[in-house]
Amino acid sequence: MRQASGRVGFLATVGVAVFLLIAALLLMAATPAAGQEPRLAGRLPDPARGQVEALLSAARVAGLPTEPLIDRALEGAAKGAAPTLIVSAVTRLRDELTTVRTAFGVTAAPAELIAGASALRAGASADDLARLRELRSAEPLTVAASVLADLVAAGVPADTAVGAVLAIAPNAADGDYVAFRRNVQRDIALGASPAAALGVRLRGLGELASTPTAGDGTLGASGRKRQKP
Amino acid sequence: MTESRDPLDSLIETLKEPVRLRPDLTRRVMAAIADDPAMATEHKPVRWWRREWTIRVTPVRLLATAAGLAGLVVTGQFLFRPAVKPASSVAGSEASNRLTQFVLVAPEAAAVTLVGDFNDWNVGATPLVRSVGDGVWSVTVPLAPGRYRYAFVVNGTVWRGDPEAPGLEDDFGQPNSVVTIGGA
Repeated sequence: MRQASGRVGFLATVGVAVFLLIAALLLMAATPAAGQEPRLAGRLPDPARGQVEALLSAARVAGLPTEPLIDRALEGAAKGAAPTLIVSAVTRLRDELTTVRTAFGVTAAPAELIAGASALRAGASADDLARLRELRSAEPLTVAASVLADLVAAGVPADTAVGAVLAIAPNAADGDYVAFRRNVQRDIALGASPAAALGVRLRGLGELASTPTAGDGTLGASGRKRQKP
Repeated sequence: MTESRDPLDSLIETLKEPVRLRPDLTRRVMAAIADDPAMATEHKPVRWWRREWTIRVTPVRLLATAAGLAGLVVTGQFLFRPAVKPASSVAGSEASNRLTQFVLVAPEAAAVTLVGDFNDWNVGATPLVRSVGDGVWSVTVPLAPGRYRYAFVVNGTVWRGDPEAPGLEDDFGQPNSVVTIGGA
């Protein structure tokens, strides 16, 4: 009798365990987690949301940061953009992040990838970004890449901005980049041409800008370092 | 003359009477068959799955089960939820955040809000405060190192870039500005 009672108790335990396991599986399936981004709910219409979710899933698999992709989708939704335009923008950013990660390396931080994508869109090439990584192998690239994009946004020609950022890359600290950008922007605001402002401020950096001219490349007329053929 | 009853006839009569079976005989026989390995027609694991269980539920067990389910829900949501960006910290710890002030001069505005990568582009999340007596609107936001796109929304409908910050190409036909917080 005691044996039968123990058997029933065991079966009851097993039954509860199986029930809990099934409940857990159902909960996991119902939780909008592994593949669902709750912030997109109610912000994007269903077809576009599904497409963006697919892009996010692919980005996760590829090891890309999804936060900037979500931000881009939310930006489009906030601005009332057409769903197709939102999907297109997210896709484009995904491609840019992929390119930047190739240039910066798989260990690049999300902030570096985001800044690199901005630089890429501003006109830098993948080779330029790879060169920046090479010159600042031990430094974060967020500020340098951002300054590159900001200089272009301020009106500096893209190749000139790339050349300047690469020229000071080996020796400049992030603070030097920030000061450089601020000074160029100030000169432009006071009426200087963007290229002239950049040239003057680059020369003002002195030694910071001298190192890249040595070695395997030379600075072109715009200050952009050119590789030997 | 009395005819004595033959014991054999008596036995025959008894055997002719209908047999009264116990109501649970069938169940007991089938259970005995099922328990007898020699009589098993199914594999033991199969029989185990098809066996009827009797589970006794007590209030304590019920409460324990409910608590277990609640624990699973909480754990599941914690483990499998997507990373949601806190409004005050986009990336990195709060210690690395830097207070960043956003200012817009808009004397004609009745309301100005700040939207950007740091607040999920939520138009109502970060309102600017108007200084008394002038048209200067401002708000201070803690930002972790990184590069952020943002814009102002005036009166809930008009999108404006920050005239004091670099502009940025926008995918959606509206002005954008960008701010970079160093350190990353």
